[in-house]
Amino acid sequence: MNTLLPFLVAGIGVGSVYALSGVGLVVLYRATGVLNFAFGAIGAVSAFIAWSALRAHWPLPAAVLVAVLAGALISTAYSRWISHFLSEREPIVRSIGTLGLALILMGFANWFWGEQPRRLAFPTDAGGLDFAGTRLTWTRVLSLLIAIAMMLSVALLLARTRIGLNMRALANDRSLSALLGVQVRRVDTLSWLISGAFAGVCGILLANMVRLHATQLTFLVIPAFAAAIIGRLDSLPITVAAGLVIGVIEALGILIPGFAPFRTSAPFLLALIAILFFRNTSRQA
Amino acid sequence: MNPAHPHTAPISQAPSHPVSAAPRRSVLPMLCCLAALGLALALLGNGYWIKTFTSALALSIAVAGVALLYGQLGLVSLAQYALVGTGGWIALRLVHGTGLPFSLCVLLGGLGSGLIGMIAGLPALRLRGLYLALVTLMIAGAYQVLITATGFPDGGDGWLGRVHGTARHIIPRPALAASDTAYLIYVVLWLGLILLLLEAHRRRKPGRAWALIRRGNAAALAAGVDILRYQAWAFGLAGFCAGVGGALLAGGIGQLDGRAFQASESVMLFALTVIAGAYHWLGIILAGFFLRVIPGLLTDFGVSGYVATMFFGAALLHALITAPRGIAGQWLDGLARLRSRRQTRKTAHTESAP
Repeated sequence: MNTLLPFLVAGIGVGSVYALSGVGLVVLYRATGVLNFAFGAIGAVSAFIAWSALRAHWPLPAAVLVAVLAGALISTAYSRWISHFLSEREPIVRSIGTLGLALILMGFANWFWGEQPRRLAFPTDAGGLDFAGTRLTWTRVLSLLIAIAMMLSVALLLARTRIGLNMRALANDRSLSALLGVQVRRVDTLSWLISGAFAGVCGILLANMVRLHATQLTFLVIPAFAAAIIGRLDSLPITVAAGLVIGVIEALGILIPGFAPFRTSAPFLLALIAILFFRNTSRQA
Repeated sequence: MNPAHPHTAPISQAPSHPVSAAPRRSVLPMLCCLAALGLALALLGNGYWIKTFTSALALSIAVAGVALLYGQLGLVSLAQYALVGTGGWIALRLVHGTGLPFSLCVLLGGLGSGLIGMIAGLPALRLRGLYLALVTLMIAGAYQVLITATGFPDGGDGWLGRVHGTARHIIPRPALAASDTAYLIYVVLWLGLILLLLEAHRRRKPGRAWALIRRGNAAALAAGVDILRYQAWAFGLAGFCAGVGGALLAGGIGQLDGRAFQASESVMLFALTVIAGAYHWLGIILAGFFLRVIPGLLTDFGVSGYVATMFFGAALLHALITAPRGIAGQWLDGLARLRSRRQTRKTAHTESAP
């Protein structure tokens, strides 16, 4: 067990980010019918902004806050000024549109900040909790807490508030909700805002755990898609669980002889297997 | 529009009848254009550019498959670059392992890739729209992991054909296209053959079946289309195109690098197909050029290649919002407008004459 523990801890760290990304994707998809392929790219831009702010000796909370706000802002701006033109098109076209945003943001980040590999280091990386021979840095502890807090608050928002009710109404039937007086654009904008903030947090966390590299961060979102797929782009609890399981399996794969080089394919294989067991998916997307 | 029931919603995309909009898309201009292009590139380019043009044209062949799926059936497949890699892998393995003639290896690479594309497309029988895009993206992600770990055959022993320790072997060019220029023309010939093959499909029963499947399974079923067969066939054909493109890419360079087959490449391939235009052969040729030539040109002018990425992103949004038939569609519309203006001027002239 003691040999497993470090991998388990690492797996839960990455898995919580997958879960968080999955939630950000699913919340947006449920409310607007758009699957945000630019999720990772928005996160990458946020991470670079945090990196620049930290280099300018900003305090950590301020840097992170500004970076996350920037992510939310980019996402909202896209929904207000661009996504809006595609709102009457097939769902697939609206989702493909975010691919354009992803390319713009990825190209910009690569061009503006350069592509030399870096890590986003936080002051909280230094200390940590010692826990059965494994060190859990303060960054990990904080990120786990933030992830749990964000997921809980979104769940509460959806379940308990008026705007959450409106979001669920839009998820059910867009045109009917509009007829009943739900302010579609306002709910849309809010969903994009929440999703953008999630993207910002995920980007910053991944840049700290993996690497600060625009292209890599943009496409690190693909495993998070796997979590969202397993949650059928609908269920938040299943998405969270899937994200955690994917992270843990990916980390534990290193212990299986012969599978280690292939372990990063775990999310994709799990998603493909899950899809085989779905029924009647043609109506869903 | 309700995202949960896309089939019941009208297809609001402007050129939802690209097939009927250009019923007699003639083959002759296409062949003339290709021949002129091949000659011009072969005569004008220097060594570096000829190589770039060759890989651009090889990628155009792969684009033809993406365009078939998106343009004819309205399906988004984000795994086509993985199939390019599969075709390249098979061709390299065959050349190293069996010494068969290169052209045969290209054909077999295409067929193998087509078979795998058909299997990968099987989920599409149940999944449409977004889910299909996601499944294919998962396949592309899994392929990226696989090929990064195993690499491409380079003349070694064993099933994977990898050499260890020594230099990687480069496969020889086919005997009839040994020089760079000859190889460029060889690739143009393949591109022409593939475009003819697709055009032949489009004009006959498969094209009509695909157009019906695009309208929705209910429409296709009502018209008595065997959805399973025609959709699987389309995926097979698209895989074949990708495989041939990959094999020709491998032949041009002599080897392939596993790290170049990221999932992001499949996404770029799709994006550029939409930007250039998925409904016309002109778009297919353009997309290959955008993929390879524009980044090269920008580097030549000292501009970062990432500016091209930004430009492509903006172009994708532009194409989706205002020009669903892509750049090729805009050019062709411009040409048609020019022609009709000249026609009216001519009629006005004859009418005014006594």
